[in-house]
Amino acid sequence: MSSQAVLEFARGPFFYFALLFMLFGLAYRLFSVISLGWSKDRVVPMGSKSKGVVVTFLKAFLIWPFIPWVKNTFNRNPLIYIGGGLFHLSLFVVVILGTPHMLVWKSLIGLGWPTLPLPVVDWMAAVGIIAMVILLINRRIHPVLKLISGPAEFFAWLFVFLPMITGYMMTHHIGGSYEALYARHMITVDVLMIWIPLSRISHFVFYFFSRAIHGQEFGKRGVAV
Amino acid sequence: MSTTEKAMEAFVHETGGWVAAQLEACTRCGMCAEACHFYQATGNPEYAPVWKMELLRRAYEQRFTFVGGIKLSLGLDKPITDEDLAHWSDLNYEACTVCNKCSMVCPMGIDIGTLLHGMRAGLAAAGDVPADLAAAVTKQVNEGSPLGMTSSVWDQRLEWVADEWEVEIPRDVKDATTLVVFSSIEVMKFPANVAAIAKILNKAGEKWTVSSKAREIVNFGFYEGSEEHTKLFLNRVLDGAKDLNVKRIVVTECGHAYDALRWHAANWIPEASNFEVIHITGVLGELIGSGRIKIKPGFFNDGGKITFHDACKIQRKGGHIQEPRDILKVLAPDAFIEMTPNREESVCCGGGGGVIAVKAADPVRYASFELKIDQVNTVSAKTVAMTCSNCRLQFTDSVDHFKLDWKVAGLSQMVADALEE
Repeated sequence: MSSQAVLEFARGPFFYFALLFMLFGLAYRLFSVISLGWSKDRVVPMGSKSKGVVVTFLKAFLIWPFIPWVKNTFNRNPLIYIGGGLFHLSLFVVVILGTPHMLVWKSLIGLGWPTLPLPVVDWMAAVGIIAMVILLINRRIHPVLKLISGPAEFFAWLFVFLPMITGYMMTHHIGGSYEALYARHMITVDVLMIWIPLSRISHFVFYFFSRAIHGQEFGKRGVAV
Repeated sequence: MSTTEKAMEAFVHETGGWVAAQLEACTRCGMCAEACHFYQATGNPEYAPVWKMELLRRAYEQRFTFVGGIKLSLGLDKPITDEDLAHWSDLNYEACTVCNKCSMVCPMGIDIGTLLHGMRAGLAAAGDVPADLAAAVTKQVNEGSPLGMTSSVWDQRLEWVADEWEVEIPRDVKDATTLVVFSSIEVMKFPANVAAIAKILNKAGEKWTVSSKAREIVNFGFYEGSEEHTKLFLNRVLDGAKDLNVKRIVVTECGHAYDALRWHAANWIPEASNFEVIHITGVLGELIGSGRIKIKPGFFNDGGKITFHDACKIQRKGGHIQEPRDILKVLAPDAFIEMTPNREESVCCGGGGGVIAVKAADPVRYASFELKIDQVNTVSAKTVAMTCSNCRLQFTDSVDHFKLDWKVAGLSQMVADALEE
C-alpha cells in the first residue's frame, strides 16, 4: 500500500472510526459512573458550596499550572509540577493554537480562531516532548511512581508520546516523504483516540467532577480551597 | 461470606458515583505522596496516599469497569486476597491519620481523605483492624467508652472535677439549650479542660448541660471505618440530646468525633439534622465575639512565644480556622506566632485517625512528629496551643518521648485562665 493510500485511510475512515470510538467510549464511561448513583448531602453547610466550586476552578485554571509555589509541596517535587505543567501547556498551544490543528477543529465543528506563529508552536511542541521524556524517566526512578506504575501507565505515556513525536517529525520533514510522515502522524493520533476511553488519559472528563467535589467539600466547611 | 468478599462488598458499597468519579479522575501522578507526613518522615513509597487506597481502586475497577473486568479475566489483575487486606490494614491504620492534606495538593482535587475512609470501611468489614484498635472499639460498644469511662467512672470524675476546680457542671438538665459532650480523653487525661469549658459556659450564662446518656463524644467506630459502630456511637449522643430536648450539641476538643457528628452524621442518621452541631472552638469565637465573655488582653504575653497547631478535623476539615487566631491575638498579641505551613495546609500531628491507639504505629508516629518539632522550633515557640485533645495526646506523649521543653496547651483552658472576673 502506498503512503498516499495509508494516509487516505488514516485521515478518512480510520480517523472517523477512532473519533466515534472515543466519543462513545467516553460517554459510556461517564454514564457508568453517574449511574452508580449520587446520594444527597444532607449536612448543613457552614460556608458556600458553590463559592468553593467557582474558586477552586478559577484557581486551578489560572493559578495551578503556572504558579505552582502557591502550594508548598512544590519545593519537595518541582519536577512533576514543572514537567506536568509544561506538558499540558504545550498540549494546549499545539492542539488548540497551532494553525494546522485549528483547521482540523474548523472542519469538525465549523469554528475557527486566531493561532500562534509556527515558530512559537514549534518550540512549545519541543518543550512538550522534552517534558514527556523527563516525566517518563522520573516515573522509572521515583520510588512512589515506580510503585504505582504498571503497563497501563506506560501505554498511556506511549500513545500520547507517539502523536507528539510524529507531529514534530512531520513539521521538520524528518524520516520520509511528506505523505509517509503525515500518515504516521494520523495513525498514531487515531490509536490515541481509541486508547483514551480505555485508559486514564480520560482523566480530563472526570477532572470536572473531582474538582467540583473538592470545591464543595471545602466550600461547605468554609475552608479556602 | 469470606473476609475478602465482605471487604469487596464494603468497598463496592462505598462506590457510589461520588467515589467512582474521583477514582476515575486519578492520573497516578504521585503528588499526594509529598503531602503525607508519614511519607515525608519515612520516605516509604507505600505510604503514598494513592497507594494506600489501591484496594479500593482495584475493587472498583474489577467490579464496575469494562476494562477492569477484562483485565481480571485475562489475569492482568488479581482478585483481592486475605494477604492484601492484612497488608493494607497496616498501611491504613498505622500510617494514615485521614488528615486529608493530600487532597490539598492533588491537581485533580480528589477528596483523598474520604476515599481513604472508604478503604477503612472495607478493611473493617473484613475484620482487618489492628487488635488494639478493635479492642478499643469493643470496649466502647460494651462500656460506652474506649478509655473505660463507664457510667460510674464518668460520675465520679465529673464530681471530682467540680470539687477540685470549684465549678458547677449541670447534669441531665431537661430543655437546656446546649448539650456539651466531652471526650473521655479530656475527662480522664485532661480534666482541667472539662473544668475550663464549664467555667466559660457558666460565665457566659449559657443554659447548658451534660448528659449521663450521651457521655462520650469519641467515636472509635469512625476511626475503624465501620458504619455500624459509627452509627451506634452517634446514636448514643443523639439519643441523649433528644431525651434532654436540647437545641445544639457542642463537641469539645476532639477532632474525629466532630468530623463524624458535624460533617457525616446527617447523611447516616436523618434525625441528626434536628440539632445544631458546633465545635467548642466555634463556641469560644462566638462568646468572645459577641462580648458574652471577656478575656484579659495580653494575658499570655510574657511566657515566651506561643504558636497554634491546626488540627486536621477541626481546622482543615472542620472550618474553625480563624477563631483560634482571633482569640490568641487578644490573649498574646506580642507572643503569638504562626508556623508555616499552617491553617488548612497545616502539617498533621501524626496521632489522629486512631493511629495513637495502635502500638505498632509508634515508630512512624514519632517519626512524623519530627516534622512538627521542626515547625515549632523554627519559630522558637515555647507553648503550642491547640483545640484537639487527640493532637494534645500526641503532643504530650511526643514531648515526653523527645524530651522537649514545650508547654502543650488547650485553647479552652487558656481562655478560661484569662477570663475577666
